[in-house]
Amino acid sequence: MAEQKSPPEDILNVNNLSFYYGKNLALNQVTLPIRKNRITSLIGPSGCGKTTLLRCFNRMHDLYPNNRYEGEILMNSHNILEKNVDIIALRSSLGMVFQKPTPFPMSVFDNIAYGLKLKNIRNQNTLKEKVEKALRQAALWDEVKDRLKENATGLSGGQQQRLSIARTLAVEPMVMLFDECTSALDPISTQKIEDLIVDLKEEMTIVAVTHNMQQAARISDYTALMYIGKLVEYDETDNIFTRPKNKMTEEYVSGRFG
Amino acid sequence: MSYLKRRKIINILALTISTLCAALGLILLFIILFDVLKEGMESLSFSIFTKDPAPPGREGGLRCAFLGQGLITLIAALVGVPIGVLGGTFLAEYGKDMKLTKFLGRLSDMAMSVPSIVIGAFVYAVLVLPLGGFNGWAGAAALAIIILPIIVRTTADMMSLVPAALREAAFALGASYHKVIVSVVWRSAMSGILTGILLALARVAGETAPLLFTSFNSNHFQLNLNQAVPSLTVSIYQYAASPYESWVKLAWAAAFVITVLVLFLNILGRVVVRLRTKN
Repeated sequence: MAEQKSPPEDILNVNNLSFYYGKNLALNQVTLPIRKNRITSLIGPSGCGKTTLLRCFNRMHDLYPNNRYEGEILMNSHNILEKNVDIIALRSSLGMVFQKPTPFPMSVFDNIAYGLKLKNIRNQNTLKEKVEKALRQAALWDEVKDRLKENATGLSGGQQQRLSIARTLAVEPMVMLFDECTSALDPISTQKIEDLIVDLKEEMTIVAVTHNMQQAARISDYTALMYIGKLVEYDETDNIFTRPKNKMTEEYVSGRFG
Repeated sequence: MSYLKRRKIINILALTISTLCAALGLILLFIILFDVLKEGMESLSFSIFTKDPAPPGREGGLRCAFLGQGLITLIAALVGVPIGVLGGTFLAEYGKDMKLTKFLGRLSDMAMSVPSIVIGAFVYAVLVLPLGGFNGWAGAAALAIIILPIIVRTTADMMSLVPAALREAAFALGASYHKVIVSVVWRSAMSGILTGILLALARVAGETAPLLFTSFNSNHFQLNLNQAVPSLTVSIYQYAASPYESWVKLAWAAAFVITVLVLFLNILGRVVVRLRTKN
C-alpha cells in the first residue's frame, strides 16, 4: 500500500449517513469514501451497523417497510439514496453476495444466466460465453463445467458460495458488496474466495463486511471500524492494524474488546 | 430424587395416554378402511366404469358419475387453483406488511372450517335458485369455494418458508418483485404448493354435501353443465340408502374406488415432495 502514490479516486462517498429501522437509529452520521478498484472492509462487533451500512449501498433496506435514510451516498455526484433513483439499475451496478450461499432452485447455468436474462440478454451464445467467463472468474468453472445442467442446490457449500459470486459477477457490476461471505465456509473454501476477491479488484471495487479481523488485514486496502452505529476509524488497513489513531481501534484490533 | 421420580412417572403417563389416543384414532380409521375394502372388493366389477346406472336388479355402473364428478372437480380446480395461489401469494408477498393482510388471512382460515353443507346451501341460494335448477356450474363453484382457502393457506405458508436471503439475492441482481416471485419464490415453494393443491383436491373429491344442493345428480350420461350432472358421491349417498341390494353393492364398490382415488392423490402429493427435495 505504500507504493500507491496518489490516493485512488472515490467511486462512492458516504456523507453524514444515518439510517433508522423504524425508530431505531442504526447508523449515526457515518462519513467515509469507497476507493475505486480497492478493497474496503467494514469491521466491528455484532450489531455495530456494518451490514446495515453495506445494505444501504444497494438500497436493500427498501424491501422492508418503515426504514429511513438520512444524509447521502454519492455515486458520480448523484445521491443514490434519493427517492427517484432507479433501484433496479442501481442494484445491477452494485452486486451483493450474502453470508449464506443463495443458489436459486434451478440449474447451475440458469443461476448464472439469471441476472443476464434480467438485462434482456437472450442470445444463447452470448449467454454461454458470459456464464463461462463468470464461472472462470469465480474459480468454479473446472468443478462445474460438466454439471451446468444440474440443480445448483446439489453443489457443496463452498461451491454454492462461489456460484453466488459468479452469478453476481456475470452482470459485470462496478462494485461488489460482500456480506460476511465466508463466515459459513471451511478454511479451504474461504481461502479460495479470498484469493478471488483480491483478483477482482483489478476490475471492480469491493466492499466487504467481515467478522474476521485477520481476513480484513489479509485482503483489504482500507478498513473502517464501526461501533454502535458510528464510524470509529477509517484508514489504510496497515495503519488500522499497526498504527491506529483511536484507542478503541487499538483495543478492538488487538482483541481486547468486541 | 423424588422429584426426578415424579418426572419419570409423568413422562410414562403422558407417553401411554398419547399412544392410546393415537391407537384409538388409527383403529377407527382401519375399521372404516377394512369395511370399505372388504365390501368394495366383493362388489367391484369392471362394469362400474363402463356402464351407466340401471334400474335395480339389472347390471348397471357409474360411468357417467365418475365422469361428472371428475368434470366438476376439474372445473373447480381450474377456478380455485389460480385464485388460491395468487391469493396466497398476496398474503405472503405483496401484502405481507399491510394490516388488511392479517384480517384476510384469518378470514380465509375461518372459511376453511365452514361446514361444506353451508357452502352448498350458499351456492344453492346464489347459483341454483336464480338459474332455475340444479346445474354443474353451481357444483363446481361450491367445490372451488371449499378448496380456495386451503390453497390460499398452504401457498402463503410455503412461500413464507422460502428464506429471505434467497429473495434478497434475486433483488440484489436487479430483479423486479414479480420476477422474484415467479422465478425464485414460487420455484422454491413449488413442491409445497403442489402438495397443498393435491390435498385440497383430495378433500373435495369425496365431498357430497356441497353437491347435494348444487349439481345434484343424474342417472343419465349427460355432461351439460347447465343441468344436473351425475355425481359419484351423491350416487353413493342415494344408492347406499336404497333398499335394493344391487344398488347397495354398487355404492360399496364406488366408495372403494373413491377411497383408492383419494389415497392415490395423497400419495402423489408426498411423492411430489420427495422428488423435489431429492433434487
